Amino acid sequence: MTIINVTLPFGVIKDISDYSRFINKILKYDISFNILKFSTGSSGINLLLDIPEGKIKTITESLKKNNIIVNKKGRVIIDDDKCIDCGACISLCPTDALHFNSEDRLEFSYEKCIGCLLCLDSCPRYAIEEM
Amino acid sequence: MIKPYTEINKRIKSGDVVVVNAEEMIEIVKNRGIKVAAEEIDVVTTGTFGPMCSSGAFLNFGHSDPPIKFEHLWLNDVHAYHGNAAVDCYIGVTRMADIRPFEYGGGHVIEDLIAGKSIRLRGNSYTTDCYPLAKVDTEFTIDDLNQAILCNPRNAYQRYACAVNSTDRILYTYMGKLLPNYGNAHYSGSGCLNPLCNDPDYETIGFGTRIFLGGGVGYVIGEGTQHNPINNYGSLFVKGDLKQMISEYLKGVNYEKYGTSMFVGLGIPIPILNENLARKTASKDEEIFTDVVDYGVPRRDRPILKKVSYKELKSGYIELYDNKIKCSSLSSLFYARKIANELKKWIEDGIFFLNPPAEPLPKETEYKPMKQTSELKFVKDLKRTAVICYEDCDIKTVAEKIITQNMNHIVITDRENHLKGIVTSFDVTKAIAEEKTNLKEIITTRVIITTDNEPIEVAGRKMKLNDISALPVIDENNKVIGIITSEELMQN
Ligand code: SF4
Ligand code: SF4
Repeated sequence: MTIINVTLPFGVIKDISDYSRFINKILKYDISFNILKFSTGSSGINLLLDIPEGKIKTITESLKKNNIIVNKKGRVIIDDDKCIDCGACISLCPTDALHFNSEDRLEFSYEKCIGCLLCLDSCPRYAIEEM
Repeated sequence: MIKPYTEINKRIKSGDVVVVNAEEMIEIVKNRGIKVAAEEIDVVTTGTFGPMCSSGAFLNFGHSDPPIKFEHLWLNDVHAYHGNAAVDCYIGVTRMADIRPFEYGGGHVIEDLIAGKSIRLRGNSYTTDCYPLAKVDTEFTIDDLNQAILCNPRNAYQRYACAVNSTDRILYTYMGKLLPNYGNAHYSGSGCLNPLCNDPDYETIGFGTRIFLGGGVGYVIGEGTQHNPINNYGSLFVKGDLKQMISEYLKGVNYEKYGTSMFVGLGIPIPILNENLARKTASKDEEIFTDVVDYGVPRRDRPILKKVSYKELKSGYIELYDNKIKCSSLSSLFYARKIANELKKWIEDGIFFLNPPAEPLPKETEYKPMKQTSELKFVKDLKRTAVICYEDCDIKTVAEKIITQNMNHIVITDRENHLKGIVTSFDVTKAIAEEKTNLKEIITTRVIITTDNEPIEVAGRKMKLNDISALPVIDENNKVIGIITSEELMQN
């Protein structure tokens, strides 16, 4: 399974609890997926979907066709000068893009970041910036 | 074996002292035994670097000409406390700037001060015959001050609870951002490196103990406020000269929707006076426990869900209800270790000596809750009977109930009284205007609820946060047992 991060813009769904029915309708391919996380962002509802590896392409395409934004990878950067290696951001990251190295310093793996932005407002030093 | 302080200090002077940090001590005791470790190791250093809200600094500006006695004063727009002599003040780290709250606060002022930056001082006065000046607006750096004394009433907690969130929304707390439905966990403290964990019976840490504070030398000046030794929640009151400190070890921070604070770097050397201390300083993360606490319950006594060791916490995951939850720290282990090593170097270099405390820390302090003279009211005291419609009725029935019962909110349930949703008079008016008849189209199913034992302040905050004016009251089986509206809260 692999994780993708999508945003349902406000207006696309009427009722906030409707998102899972809505996604199900779009993905009529009989694909099993899990909603890992749900959060309300500034532009809409952010969902983290756990989907089968091989179906990324079909799923992404049909989501896009229905005006759902599939977020790009790697949407944040870490300012090392501001970071104090506290770790407050790590538990929020649904992949392991944010993690400690063997010295307990924060390390960011750009290629693992799915751009969910959950970490953004968790940093007490404003060391995480949206690109 | 007994090794006196004088002996240890003699070795520091001659350069023969053997110092290790608390992590290294674990290995030494494991490999060579307590007896050998107690003889060979003279000092074990500890460290911690985390957010410590009970921190701040006393500053003295010297007198202006003509003199002023401050009534109010601001440092970079952060209100400082003035209740002492004319030009003394206390800047506390959680006080937020008037114009940039939730971004810049007292902790940032202190960090900027140590970094040598210029700080704007604005102050006013009601004026007296001896202090005729009414207003000051000036700039200063730390070098312009007579005294700048870091004075923190509560630092270096022995341990701290690990926070999780059982509610269905994100919580922003002093324990950081907590994801809904136990989505993550946050803890604080450096475990086996934590100062008080290495001397849990306060044999060597007490009034007057010389310590590493913010990169300079500081002192323990007593037990911290809320010192709670009986439950292993001891804390320290510390002070130190800000002018010696470096901004690497004092960092202003802001937690989203909570407010500002400051990271304080603090390290304490533990002299290995006897075998007991060798054993205690070798305590491992798996032997230090704390509680996992549900911050979803906004009460003083939050439910403790389980006990967890610092080993589990540091592993990055904790187990809760058969799930693995991602867990991370708020305090920095990297800097805690760096502080312990820095202190170790000071001692090895012969520039830092150890001293016995003038008085030990109290071991039996009672930790009391606040005395509140007005009685706490709960939802059950103010709730009223909910007006209920079944989920399969039509909009007209709901409309009738609104009119006959004079109620703005109709709670929708199934036949067994389980909560299914809520409909307001506004929803119904709109539906009628749009000629809708099916209740399902207008019902709000994601209902914010309350329970009998929720304090009314908490229920009120829920309404405010969600911009709503009523909360159905449900029992543990999701059955509706009443409703509370902003009207009841207002009358209260
Ligand atoms: S945006 Fe932040 S939390 Fe989300 S994947 Fe990237 S690093 Fe992790
Ligand atoms: S929360 Fe901010 S300061 Fe702390 S480790 Fe993450 S990026 Fe660094």
